[in-house]
Amino acid sequence: MSMDAVFIEGKRKYIFCSDEHGLRVLSSVFENVKKEKLAYEWYHFSAEKRECLEEFLSKQKMGTFLYVELPYSELHTVQMMAKRIGFSSDETQYFGYGEKWISIFCCRCHELNRAEEQQTGLTCHQCELKLEVSDHYSELYHAFLGYPATG
Amino acid sequence: MKWTGDLAHFPYPFKGSTYRYSNNSIPMKQPYCIEVTSSYKKEMLFKRKLLSDHPERCYQSLPHSITGQWEIVEIVIDHLVSQYPQDFSIEQENNRWIFTNKILDEKKEFIFGEKNSLPCEPLFFISQHVQEDLIYMRQRDDNLYLDAGQLCFPANWSLAFNIGMKFKSIHHPIPGFKEEGLDQRILQFLMRLEAGTPWERLNWSLMAGDRLDTSLETFNQWGRLRKQVTSENAGELVHIRVEVQKLFRLPRTNSILFSIHTHLLALEQLATNIEWLQQFYEILSELPDHIVEYKGISTYKKAVLKYLEKQLQQVKTL
Ligand code: HEM
Ligand SMILES: [Zn+2]
Repeated sequence: MSMDAVFIEGKRKYIFCSDEHGLRVLSSVFENVKKEKLAYEWYHFSAEKRECLEEFLSKQKMGTFLYVELPYSELHTVQMMAKRIGFSSDETQYFGYGEKWISIFCCRCHELNRAEEQQTGLTCHQCELKLEVSDHYSELYHAFLGYPATG
Repeated sequence: MKWTGDLAHFPYPFKGSTYRYSNNSIPMKQPYCIEVTSSYKKEMLFKRKLLSDHPERCYQSLPHSITGQWEIVEIVIDHLVSQYPQDFSIEQENNRWIFTNKILDEKKEFIFGEKNSLPCEPLFFISQHVQEDLIYMRQRDDNLYLDAGQLCFPANWSLAFNIGMKFKSIHHPIPGFKEEGLDQRILQFLMRLEAGTPWERLNWSLMAGDRLDTSLETFNQWGRLRKQVTSENAGELVHIRVEVQKLFRLPRTNSILFSIHTHLLALEQLATNIEWLQQFYEILSELPDHIVEYKGISTYKKAVLKYLEKQLQQVKTL
């Protein structure tokens, strides 16, 4: 994830996905797209509309570029969704804001748990196993593995 | 599950008097990715139960792995049939295949390459006929990805977590692997793996108990036995766990089949071979802490060493 949104030329369409708080990083690219009279669409994100977003993104044609700016707590889900649909890392830029969360994959029940970045242990909210946060990371889940806590 | 075969056939893993992580792969003498042992029937029933009770834990695949999965079906059937013609056979008429497993008294008919002709994915299907766990590594962008796998007998890792992962990330938890550049060297070695020249290696560990399914998911069921090991019960309770791992290049998809056959031997059985007893004692005494810790032996290493010492003394006084 880079710090500033970068305008990528030559795409058939630009999609901006954000909520009402997260327009800071995307506005300069948006100005560029408007100035050059390129095709674009805004997707005003809210947690309830997460599933509609999947449908919306699935309908896009090849050559569409996706900019997303959302709270960290939502960003990973959208990132995973876009990847699943087929957006590659060259066709997307993601920006998070707000409190930074990491996901912890429960080694027993496979549930993804939220944790703060510095957190070393937690209890799985689904199966209640005590977990120790490791640095073993899965790019597919965007999550760290939680091992059974010892002691 | 106990070793029921001839001790001479146990894949005893040690050479010399020390053990370190290294690329210990060697070219295979007999180029077969599977082996049928005396516990075939028992293990197949057990594996099938695990697959049906815990499909998510034991089976994972990404959508683009299907072509490679068919290639695995082909190589596994080919190896079963050529190695054990009395137990397995295949009739092929164009793409119509009839596979017969005489040990389990089963006949399966399907259209090769046609997903809908099987009730499940191809890798899932064929894994129900072999004792090995089967992992499919796809090669792309100078990297290897775990894109599908059937894993019923893991040594304390989670297939569900590792699905889609790159070779180096998979090996991230192993202490010293990255620092010593081993992950990069082994990856390079695997990328150069050629079709028709398979390699194999042995991996070993110790465990308290004799469960084959020591998945990370069920750690809380089997891990606590570690605390019950004493020098009195170690011979019976503690097992050496050896994985025979085989690496085959699949030429059409340019991917890799990684098969894992897990064998367990109680220490009291190992100790009946005096050379093994002596050598294993030396290796365990000298084993660096980070390896002891990673393999999960720390809690009961002392008890095992004491047990082995007792056995050695008995031999010497005989
Ligand atoms: C290409 C297929 C391979 C796969 C899918 C694979 C997978 C794994 C996994 C999942 C682990 C456990 C990691 C954990 O704790 O989560 C592991 C451990 C390990 N792997 Fe691999 N591996 C492969 C090939 C190799 C090769 C070719 C070598 C060496 C030549 C190797 C050496 C090791 C070693 C030394 C360990 C630590 C085992 C122990 O101390 O018990 N692996 N591997
Ligand atoms: Zn859980």
